[in-house]
Amino acid sequence: MTALELASRRAGLLARVDELLARRVSMRSLALLRILAGPVVLLHLRPFLVDAARGRIYRDVFSQPYVSWYPQLPRSLYITLLWIGAAAAIAMSAGLWTRLTTATTFAVVAYNLFLSTTHFHNNRAYLFIVLAGLAVAPCGRELSVDAWARRRRGLPPLDPTAPGWPLWLLRFEASAIYGASGLSKLLNPDWFGGAVTWDRVMQSKDKLAATPLPSWVVSALTDRTLHVYAAKLIVLTELFIAVGLWWRGTRYAAVWVAVCFHLSIEASADVEVFSYLGIAALVIWAVPSTRDRMLGMDLSAAGQRWLATAVRRLDWLARFRVEETRRGPVRVVDRDRRVLRGGPAVIFVLSRLPVTAWFTLPLLVVLRGAATREWTDDRAPHPGSRE
Amino acid sequence: MVPCDRLPVDTRARIVGRRAAVAVVVVAQLLLIARGYSSAHKEFAFQMFPESSTWRADVVRVTDDDRRVPVSEPWSGYRWEDLVTSRGLQTPWMRHHADAGVDNQLAFLGAALQWVADHTPRDHQTRYLEATVTYWHNLDAPTTVVLRSHDRNGPP
Repeated sequence: MTALELASRRAGLLARVDELLARRVSMRSLALLRILAGPVVLLHLRPFLVDAARGRIYRDVFSQPYVSWYPQLPRSLYITLLWIGAAAAIAMSAGLWTRLTTATTFAVVAYNLFLSTTHFHNNRAYLFIVLAGLAVAPCGRELSVDAWARRRRGLPPLDPTAPGWPLWLLRFEASAIYGASGLSKLLNPDWFGGAVTWDRVMQSKDKLAATPLPSWVVSALTDRTLHVYAAKLIVLTELFIAVGLWWRGTRYAAVWVAVCFHLSIEASADVEVFSYLGIAALVIWAVPSTRDRMLGMDLSAAGQRWLATAVRRLDWLARFRVEETRRGPVRVVDRDRRVLRGGPAVIFVLSRLPVTAWFTLPLLVVLRGAATREWTDDRAPHPGSRE
Repeated sequence: MVPCDRLPVDTRARIVGRRAAVAVVVVAQLLLIARGYSSAHKEFAFQMFPESSTWRADVVRVTDDDRRVPVSEPWSGYRWEDLVTSRGLQTPWMRHHADAGVDNQLAFLGAALQWVADHTPRDHQTRYLEATVTYWHNLDAPTTVVLRSHDRNGPP
């Protein structure tokens, strides 16, 4: 390859990267994440606020600054700052002065996180990352008081799309978290061999025996052989989530597994806000285009009216454009112009709503063979389905 | 909706800035993940539940007259449990899980000894604090190490 060809190839690659970073995509998923992140921030700040109400802040007890020059605020100002963070989180969630309140929430959480090494936990690091992503993205143009106020003033809505780079970065970070965790276990012979999980269970054997679990379950859980295989399953689960989220064919499975993974962690360990944040952040993996699936329904039929109501209330990611049809079953035209009708169409719709997706995604696999799919005349892919 | 012809045009600075911001975040994250394999504190390395290791420590105050007084006993109006409340260090004399790994736990305990030595001005007897730590790294045999704060009578 000549130097000219190499330079040309490099320029081409850079141009593709620039195109990807600048590509205008829907900020809908980040708007939803913004709403969900508000309560997570409040949960995160709660112990600091409770301590402050009891007259104790971080430096009254063992703490360790990262660097000596990090600004330490007077006590009253620090406590005020925490309350400002909480108020900003509520406003951020509501979408009130969104850019300002999201940046403020991020600044307060970040300042507090880096005050002391003792403040650092993985779940707080993830919250820092999510808030950073939200702070740089225009995620208040939908699902917000700002958008509502704009409508009230008779102003045209702001463009709900923006360059996709904050979304791509958040996806990278989310994936890196699962990947780093899985990789560290994969490279640790004690972990991959099952010694770590087995030892942890054995340390809690007395507590386990005191639960209503049948003795054979306790016996199975404390069987070392089980952990030889279970540890590998855990590692592969984390790595599967990290990788599977990137590809369309595996994304829904990865999301479903990730929800199970977070729920099992929440049930078995104290991880502060990690589970809530981990599940909430899964919305960033939705294809960043909106209303690009047509849902046709006969609103004179009671069952279809019920579905229409559910979609109106629960389609938080704006997956569907609802159109009224005269008669006949529910009809969905997917992004690729494939058509689903009847029961499979209903399950498909429910599998795309954040609240019902986890329950219906497995049904989609079961019905895959039974679903009747047709093609509309126009097979050209929808512009929003580039990803 | 803002018409397409009124959307902001990408300037060269904007393109380069975007490229740089993304590159910095990606590279920094990868470096922090790599750093987690050698650092006691594993910020942004996301190594979750890394070990089943446990530890306990006998923490004492060594006084000017060489008495070794356990910190489980209050002294000069101070209580260890009130001074050190986080990172599983509140009751070091009990065996605990090292939830972020033994190295991390030892680093925090060492720092806690220093902090207590520096933040107990009413105590005029203690020369230094010392922790005799026994830890069980996963299923390995127990190991004992001794951590010590700086001498409170000596130069800082």
